[in-house]
Amino acid sequence: LVCAGTWHDQAVAEPGRAPRTQPRRAHLLERGSFTEYLALRLGGELFGIPLASVREILTLPPITYVPRAPYGILGLISVRGLLVTVIDLRMKVGTEAAPPTKRTRVLLVPGPENETLGLCVDEVLQVYRLSDGEIEPATSVLGTSVSEHVAGIGRREGVMLVLLSLTSLLEVGG
Amino acid sequence: MSSDVIDKAREEFFSEAQEIIEGFSRDLLALDDGERRGRHDPELVNDIFRAVHTLKGLAGLFGASRMSGLSHDLEEILDDLRLGRRELTREVLDVLFRAVDVFGQILLSERDVGKPCPPEVDTFLTDLRRMVRHQQAPASSAAASAKLEYDLDAGLLAVLTEYEEHRLRTCIQSGMALFRVRVNFRLVTIDEELERLKELAKPLGEIITYLPTGEGSDIEMIELEVVLAAKAMLENIVAVLGGPSVRVEELARRRAVSPDQVPSIVPGSDPAPEQLSHEAGSGARARSDAGDLTPGPAGGQALSLRSVSQTVRVDIRKLDHLMNIVGELAIVRSSLSKLMDRVRGQGAMRELGVELHRLQRTFDRHLGQMQEGILEVRMVPIGQIFEKLGRVTRQASREAGKQVNLVITGAETEVDKLIVEELSDPLMHMVRNAVEHGIEPAAERVRVGKPEIGTIAINAFQKGSHVLIELEDDGRGIVRERLLEAAVRRGFLSEAEGREMAPRDVFALIFLPGFTTKETPDMLAGRGVGMDIVKTNIARLGGIIDVYSEAGIGTKMTITLPITLAILNALIVQVGDHAFAVPMSSVQEALVHDPNATRLVDGREMMTLRGTSLPLARLTRLFGVEGRAGRFIVVVAAGARRLGVVVDHLEGQQDIVIKPLGRSLRSVRGFAGAAQLGDQRVGLVIDAPALVEEVLAGEAGKTSLGVRRDVA
Repeated sequence: LVCAGTWHDQAVAEPGRAPRTQPRRAHLLERGSFTEYLALRLGGELFGIPLASVREILTLPPITYVPRAPYGILGLISVRGLLVTVIDLRMKVGTEAAPPTKRTRVLLVPGPENETLGLCVDEVLQVYRLSDGEIEPATSVLGTSVSEHVAGIGRREGVMLVLLSLTSLLEVGG
Repeated sequence: MSSDVIDKAREEFFSEAQEIIEGFSRDLLALDDGERRGRHDPELVNDIFRAVHTLKGLAGLFGASRMSGLSHDLEEILDDLRLGRRELTREVLDVLFRAVDVFGQILLSERDVGKPCPPEVDTFLTDLRRMVRHQQAPASSAAASAKLEYDLDAGLLAVLTEYEEHRLRTCIQSGMALFRVRVNFRLVTIDEELERLKELAKPLGEIITYLPTGEGSDIEMIELEVVLAAKAMLENIVAVLGGPSVRVEELARRRAVSPDQVPSIVPGSDPAPEQLSHEAGSGARARSDAGDLTPGPAGGQALSLRSVSQTVRVDIRKLDHLMNIVGELAIVRSSLSKLMDRVRGQGAMRELGVELHRLQRTFDRHLGQMQEGILEVRMVPIGQIFEKLGRVTRQASREAGKQVNLVITGAETEVDKLIVEELSDPLMHMVRNAVEHGIEPAAERVRVGKPEIGTIAINAFQKGSHVLIELEDDGRGIVRERLLEAAVRRGFLSEAEGREMAPRDVFALIFLPGFTTKETPDMLAGRGVGMDIVKTNIARLGGIIDVYSEAGIGTKMTITLPITLAILNALIVQVGDHAFAVPMSSVQEALVHDPNATRLVDGREMMTLRGTSLPLARLTRLFGVEGRAGRFIVVVAAGARRLGVVVDHLEGQQDIVIKPLGRSLRSVRGFAGAAQLGDQRVGLVIDAPALVEEVLAGEAGKTSLGVRRDVA
């Protein structure tokens, strides 16, 4: 197991930092009216997922292809003996699949029924602390197939993040 | 923190209670059996009493009020029974049997906090209360009032429990003589030796009590003084029990005790009266309590015989954890081995390599031993569930108004604890089914010339790395035609399909979901849910179930299970860049694939293997992966069916720790799980029986599985 080596990864990759999704309210009280999002890239677009739900960031380990797996599942990896199913986040949000690069990362997140899932993303960028004012609710600007996974749009100095709802994303076809 | 401790204590409470209830049930069955043969075994009643008493204490400790209430009332009934104040009637037996079930229900509802207790539990408790209050008139106070014809040592009498005294009087009254047996036991084996002695003494009479004398020839020995009541002569007893470490003497009948003699069990005949009188009585206990004369471990052990038993109860999850660690170690080992090969490949480091190699061999051996040791600990005799089955048979046959004998062989066969747990429900269901559907009513049995009492035989035995459990009944069997008819009527298959069906597949129809030939559901089995669940449960354990039946003669079901789930030996195969593990338990052999020997039959690849046809399946096609030529064939079997799986490369055998696929992959069929193969590699473990069924079912859609697919 090798932890990701770029600077923004180190900012978030302390193990045990955010073991479970914290209740949102508690989170806000603690940090003021801010929510931290991890910005990541899928194809040419930027997305954000709540930092609190990211347990770990890994460089891409060897993936075992699972024949007959549901659409969007890349395969299995072993994280210190634990089997983790890796989901291609690109396929989930409707971007075309692409071969991994050296920037490809796997985020470990809690899935339904407490299963730890791996989300494969093209690149992990940085953490944004977004205030409520910087988050727009999801609008019809986005395609219909995607919008159910989208919790909102975050804006900061010209950068636009599509904020994903992990619950909805991982439930569908999970 | 403290809640952890409480949880742990609760967990222990449950497992201990469970164990006691199982023992209770076992003794009850033996008691029931004995009564039916007209043999009354007071020792069993006493064992049951003690079990219930312990339960009561436990329940009180954990505030399980229903349980302590139940134990309390039962205890009263049992106390009356063992002291001869109540007769052991069929009704009483029934109540006791029901109590076992009620204990189980209470335990369940206590475990899942918030789960309500089924109402019948409280009904039972009320009934029981009434029964206790409605006490029978003391059956015969003769025993109690019978004068002791022996001048027993006052000290001895003082340590006799009420029960022991009752037994003593009963025995003397029935004309038995009293003997004193002094036996030396080795401390480490005292449990077994004492049991053996009890067994030996049983035909002779009854052991009233035994006490440590506080003596022993050395610190590893302990001497017990056993008071035995028997009809036999002294010589006979010596002949049966005799041995180098056994001394037997008869106790004399009533005689005046000379005033200068301290009360003694054996006035006159004792070689060393003073010493004896001192030990036989309470003095023996007092002294070993103090431990002043027998220092060291012997003194301490004599204090409590219980502590001699050297067993530990362990949560199975802890063993799983250990097993995982062994698995990880095995992975480290294979990485080390690769490293070592590299070292040995470099001429300069040759010597180092040789040394490393030697070290690694030792490491290997120890790792193997450790793995074996853990596996051994997980193994329990399958007889544990057979006891439950005895109860189920009894209950089901009573409810169905049939007489059924359950014959069990191979109860000592050992299986992984987890398998035993998971097996209990399916087996219970199968036994119910056999009683309900298999065994005919007595009248019908007599008419067709069978013995009036039906027989269900369960046989377990080990065969290679598998355990086979056969469940056979001598009932009416399955009429193939009726089964087919019912399947057609319910739309599971067409008449034409039915006609073409192979005989063995017809029986397999009973495993279809929702299939039943019985028209009215009832209390017992026959609700049309069941055999499919049985099959699924067994499949989940990596096992398979086969049925064979002959109309009018009986039905035989055979369950084949792997011995352990924790670790398995697998053949690692490659297809293209993909590695798969095939459990060796399913692999019959591996062959080199000769394309010239295969033919196409009805669009399917087949080859001839030693005179029989072997259907072939290409993993490339089945799994939609890219591969190469397919140079090898792995022959896998599920029950009597075989399939040749075409693969590119055989990598060799390896022990793997199999892990289930997560929820996200739950829908994927054909794999039993995945395992780490070393170098961070994860390999999917092929579920060979499922694959065989899938491929052979796809053949023409006429086997049972094909049918099931259509229905689903």
